Amino acid sequence: MPIINARSNNGNSDGDRLVVDIYPLSSYYFSSKPAAASKDETIADRALRLKSNYDAFGMRTCVEAVILVELFKHPHLLLLQSKNCIYTLPGGRLRPGESDIDGLKRKLLSKLSVDDDDNYRTHWEVSECIGTWWKSDFETLPYPYLPSSGRTPKECTKLYLVKLPSNRDFIVPKNFKLLAVPMCQLHENRKTYGSIIAGIPQLLSRFSINMVRT
Amino acid sequence: MVVSPVVNTYPLSSYSFGTKEPKMEKDTSVADRLARMKLNYMKEGMRTSVEAILLVQEHNHPHILLLQIGNTFCKLPGGRLKPGENEVEGLKRKLSSKLAANSPNMQPNWQIGECVAVWWRPNFETIMYPYCPPHISKPKECKKLYVVHLSEREYFAVPKNLKLLAVPLFELYDNVQRYGPVISTIPQQLSRFQFNMISG
Repeated sequence: MPIINARSNNGNSDGDRLVVDIYPLSSYYFSSKPAAASKDETIADRALRLKSNYDAFGMRTCVEAVILVELFKHPHLLLLQSKNCIYTLPGGRLRPGESDIDGLKRKLLSKLSVDDDDNYRTHWEVSECIGTWWKSDFETLPYPYLPSSGRTPKECTKLYLVKLPSNRDFIVPKNFKLLAVPMCQLHENRKTYGSIIAGIPQLLSRFSINMVRT
Repeated sequence: MVVSPVVNTYPLSSYSFGTKEPKMEKDTSVADRLARMKLNYMKEGMRTSVEAILLVQEHNHPHILLLQIGNTFCKLPGGRLKPGENEVEGLKRKLSSKLAANSPNMQPNWQIGECVAVWWRPNFETIMYPYCPPHISKPKECKKLYVVHLSEREYFAVPKNLKLLAVPLFELYDNVQRYGPVISTIPQQLSRFQFNMISG
């Protein structure tokens, strides 16, 4: 079988860290759980809530997981779809004082695992941060650099690569669909997925994705 | 988990620039370039090229050094590796060829950092992808972009036929029209770094 992602690693000492093993979609089990109580607020209410949180706690930080599986010999990204056209990565807002890793594990449990899991059965391996996006205001678009005005941004979103074991049970709240979307469909498809998700193939390009045959 | 890597950037004014003899492009048109690429592929197999992201700061915002050919076309310093050549050594060779003075005692000590992006060319065409597309088992080129850490002072000698520009990240971001898909996505690929912007 031709090695599709073969590259010479000469001169590159961080070769091992950059290898990501991914497993076939078929090695994972998917089922659902009841939807979490939804916030169900108007856009105006949400804007007020975000503003008052900013006044109390400062910049809002969100952490999101980039999780890959293999299908048709091509890496696919796990995305949550809600309301038919909103695509999100598993993740969410950090609580004040919470570390990135703790917050991401908490969100992964809530979005992709059973609720009463004590994190010892479902171990999430959070690898490195692959990209950061900042918003100077809550309604503006995200950018991959700090605002050059020097003002503190209102929101920061950090993407973390999460490595899966060879099998896992995914339990998804009923109000979401869990999709596996091929990288070639995400690439440059900002209209459907937004800048952050459509930019993920470029953020992952430096990794050597090893599609493990089980 | 790896802690966010740091890049020290110094003001553009802490560097000095001179000129040297022109370095002409080997091909005069895109068609010529692709034809030459095909010839090389027949002889040597997949081309591996390496390019350098050299960062400076201006007004507290990171800028990338680009070489401009003619009036519009911009590229990163770098180029094709020789068959079997080590990536880091090859990149240093290309950097010295494009940006260092010719005298042996004025060679910058190039500090090659992390690889931040890899692009694949599936066919003898201009389009490249940040992954090897499905069903492509014999890509024609693999291009790797590396961050290069500059020290506080350097002397660069730029070939007379090229201009060296310092372009801010906000100008590159999303600007595919002007800079192409590879350079315009560098801001996202640098977003995980912490920039330590040191003033003069």
